[in-house]
Amino acid sequence: MRKILMVLFIMLSITSWVEAKELTFGEAVDVKDTIKISTLLASPSDYVDKQVTVAGTIVGVCQKRGCWMNLASDAKFEKLRIKVRDGDMVFPMSAKGRQALATGVVKEIKLDVEQTRRYKTSLAKRLGEEIDAKAITSGMSLYQISPTGVAILD
Amino acid sequence: MTRKRGINWFRLNRELHRDIGYFCIGLTLVFAISGIALNHVNDWNSNYIVERIERDIVFKNKLPDEEINQQLMTLFSIDEPIKATYWESPKVYKVFFNAGGTLSVNFLHQQAIFEHVRPRIVFKQFNRLHLNEAKNGWIIFSDIYAGFLIFLSLSALFMVKGKYSPWRFKRGWLVILGGLVPAVYIFL
Repeated sequence: MRKILMVLFIMLSITSWVEAKELTFGEAVDVKDTIKISTLLASPSDYVDKQVTVAGTIVGVCQKRGCWMNLASDAKFEKLRIKVRDGDMVFPMSAKGRQALATGVVKEIKLDVEQTRRYKTSLAKRLGEEIDAKAITSGMSLYQISPTGVAILD
Repeated sequence: MTRKRGINWFRLNRELHRDIGYFCIGLTLVFAISGIALNHVNDWNSNYIVERIERDIVFKNKLPDEEINQQLMTLFSIDEPIKATYWESPKVYKVFFNAGGTLSVNFLHQQAIFEHVRPRIVFKQFNRLHLNEAKNGWIIFSDIYAGFLIFLSLSALFMVKGKYSPWRFKRGWLVILGGLVPAVYIFL
């Protein structure tokens, strides 16, 4: 029993030590190519499959797997999702409110009409708004960044 | 004339199985416990304890941000610096505090929720190891551990002689069953 406790104690000590105050994930972020989130979201199709760096306050983090985080735009009511494959990077929930930089490729997710209705209905419900889902007759696209490097600043 | 004694493979196998087994106890518990927790991640957040306090508000979103912040901090008796604020929509406002708390205000429902997140100490560390968030050195160590598990499973086939040997059907059916279960999930 003493052996088991000793092994567990050593492992917990190592992992606590590994977690630094400023968190970095993946490769180093490319600060010189930073663009405003509002610029990207103004014409997102121009940036699809291109590498960019964005910066913003973390305003949301995936609660279950830490597989995405939302960065607030410099413009009001806008945000951009930074999404990784489960386990590639795990963003801590405690990072909400901190500044982050993310370098990665802009990805377009095309939704068909049905998916668009579901997405907009869910969004409206969350924001306390009402929409007529049947009035939506065309699909839409969502844009997010698939990061190669993320830095969460202190 | 003395007879040259060879290596007793049966005994060596048992001793290695025993000692490596002892070494693997700690890590096996870590992976097994976090494995169960991660399997049920949709039902229970094993990384964080999320505490929520809900209050009704009387003020409107027309107020300046500073005044809204002050009203909220008084309502929830919060006495800590604000790290950042964010308007998600004209009706949804968020305030982030230095100590990790978040206030979400919905002006449509005139409701505010204070959410405080605390990491679950043991589970979070176990999950961190399980999902290999530490990377680098941990990859080498977990590869060695995986190698040990392969050794433990194969050496188990040569631990017992006689009628309880896995090579006889009396206990061998357990080996077959252990292989069949994943096979069924893969091929059906």
